[in-house]
Amino acid sequence: MANHKDVLFGLYSDEEVLLKAVKKAKAAHLDIMDVFTPFPVHGLDEALDLKESRLHIVGFIFGLIGSLTAFLGMTWIFTDDWPIIIGGKPYWSVPAFIPITFELTVLFASIGMVVVFYVIGGLGPGVTNPTLDDRITDDKFCIAFDQHGMSDKDIDKVKSFLKDSGAEEIHTKTI
Amino acid sequence: MNTFTFERSQRMFLGTLMGIGLLCAIILLLQHDPLKARFWSDFLHNSVFFSGIAVMALFFMGASITGMAGWYTVFKRVWESFSLFLIVGIIFMIILGLGNYLGFHHLYHWNDAETVADDVLLKGKSHFLNKGWYLLGTIVIMGGWIYFARKLRALSLEEDQDPGHDFEKHRKMRVWAAAVLPFIGFSSAAVIWLWVMSVDPHWYSTLFAWYSAASWFVAMVAMTIMIIGYLQSKGYYPEFNRDHLHDLGKFLFAFSIFWTYLWFSQFMLIWYGNVGEETTYFFTRRDHYPVLFYGNLVINFVLPFLILLRNDTKRKLGTMFFVSGLVFFGHWIDYFLMIKPGVLHTTQALSAAGEDHGSHAIAAGFGMPGFLEIGMMLGFLGLFIYMVFWQLSKASLIPKNDPYLAESLHHHV
Repeated sequence: MANHKDVLFGLYSDEEVLLKAVKKAKAAHLDIMDVFTPFPVHGLDEALDLKESRLHIVGFIFGLIGSLTAFLGMTWIFTDDWPIIIGGKPYWSVPAFIPITFELTVLFASIGMVVVFYVIGGLGPGVTNPTLDDRITDDKFCIAFDQHGMSDKDIDKVKSFLKDSGAEEIHTKTI
Repeated sequence: MNTFTFERSQRMFLGTLMGIGLLCAIILLLQHDPLKARFWSDFLHNSVFFSGIAVMALFFMGASITGMAGWYTVFKRVWESFSLFLIVGIIFMIILGLGNYLGFHHLYHWNDAETVADDVLLKGKSHFLNKGWYLLGTIVIMGGWIYFARKLRALSLEEDQDPGHDFEKHRKMRVWAAAVLPFIGFSSAAVIWLWVMSVDPHWYSTLFAWYSAASWFVAMVAMTIMIIGYLQSKGYYPEFNRDHLHDLGKFLFAFSIFWTYLWFSQFMLIWYGNVGEETTYFFTRRDHYPVLFYGNLVINFVLPFLILLRNDTKRKLGTMFFVSGLVFFGHWIDYFLMIKPGVLHTTQALSAAGEDHGSHAIAAGFGMPGFLEIGMMLGFLGLFIYMVFWQLSKASLIPKNDPYLAESLHHHV
């Protein structure tokens, strides 16, 4: 990758300590690049002022496309393209279309959301994601800062913040 | 404010609602109506609807205790109070059961000896559909529900005083809660057959019990949201936060969809099977009640689905209160549609001699809920809320010593 980043990060071993540290960093107007945790930490989204994900809007749109595909598709097939009388019912039998409409809604919404999630997140087959430290997928919690544009003084400030807020280890890594 | 005070103004207001209900009942009884069908069908409709809300609160409480759920503990007194309304409900249902013997109402066609003698289908069903089973079933089953409701309430109050060694009281409660689940599961189906499905005695549907129980359940969740919303406006339950509301909203949303799923499953199988004795149920409703028939689906599915689909609407008390009111009324209409057409048919058949039977003229109060139906509903609503508030005022609003209390107070979704 072309854009390498010099990342300064601290590792914590308790989520409560991490949560307090994040709040403290926000109060001190430190520019957090990202926070990595092995599991979802309650209250972290609010502490980081993360915006609500818009993925569910994608889900709704794909679901709508699925419903229309199924319903209009069956309408066209059974009334125009290849009308068949089934069980003495009219060609355009709405109740019989409902289950398939439901299934395609779910199918489109779920597949659409997964694909969009992967595309937006830059994930997918063949993509390697450098990790700051392997233990952040196990039992360590990490606050990371991008060193780009920081003066030595700023770096010292961040380092002392990490130390004071309870980080057990402080490292720098280029990813 | 951990104790609810049942203020005088509230008593007055609820008393007025009950007065309206009583007034409507008297007007209905004084009307020219030889079989008093309009009054008794309203009485059955509301008794079943509000008793169902009470039993679903008991059922959900049992499920939550058995499933070791912690989120609801903050407001579990509300559900305890709901479940104790059954004590009033059983009185109403026994009145209806005695009516089959004493003949002061004619809601059930299977209770007419002459009709049954000439009708091979009703004769075949008479081993179950008879006045003895109706009364016995009502007393035994509702009595059982009341027993469990009082047991869980008593243990919960004892726990407030002393949780016992290693939460002994709660462990005991868990046994009772686990026992109530299969009991309500099977017995609610049996009483729904007797009370509601048998107003159309020729018709049957195996899904009916689930479908009408789902209707009760949604109404119960809606009622919970409205009651807690009111209590919060009075300054009670500051501990009930947006996350609790969000979870209740999810239940309202999910079970509205579940209700629709069952409604549609029942409809589609009958539509597909196309058996005359089954389809007549939906023909009657579609042809004579088109507004309610389709409106039922709009109020109970389309609107809550679209409104509650978004995350943030479930976290706003105002929106939730509005949707709850809508859905509550919607499920009341749902029960109206289950009961009224059948009773109308029975009434017309029983009073057919000499009159124009078969014209399907829909009598007042049977086609669309009129002011008197709404008035009766308000009366029952007033009584229900009165009983709930009365029970709420008897214990602390937030239970003490419940092992899940801390989890509930820190609930976060």
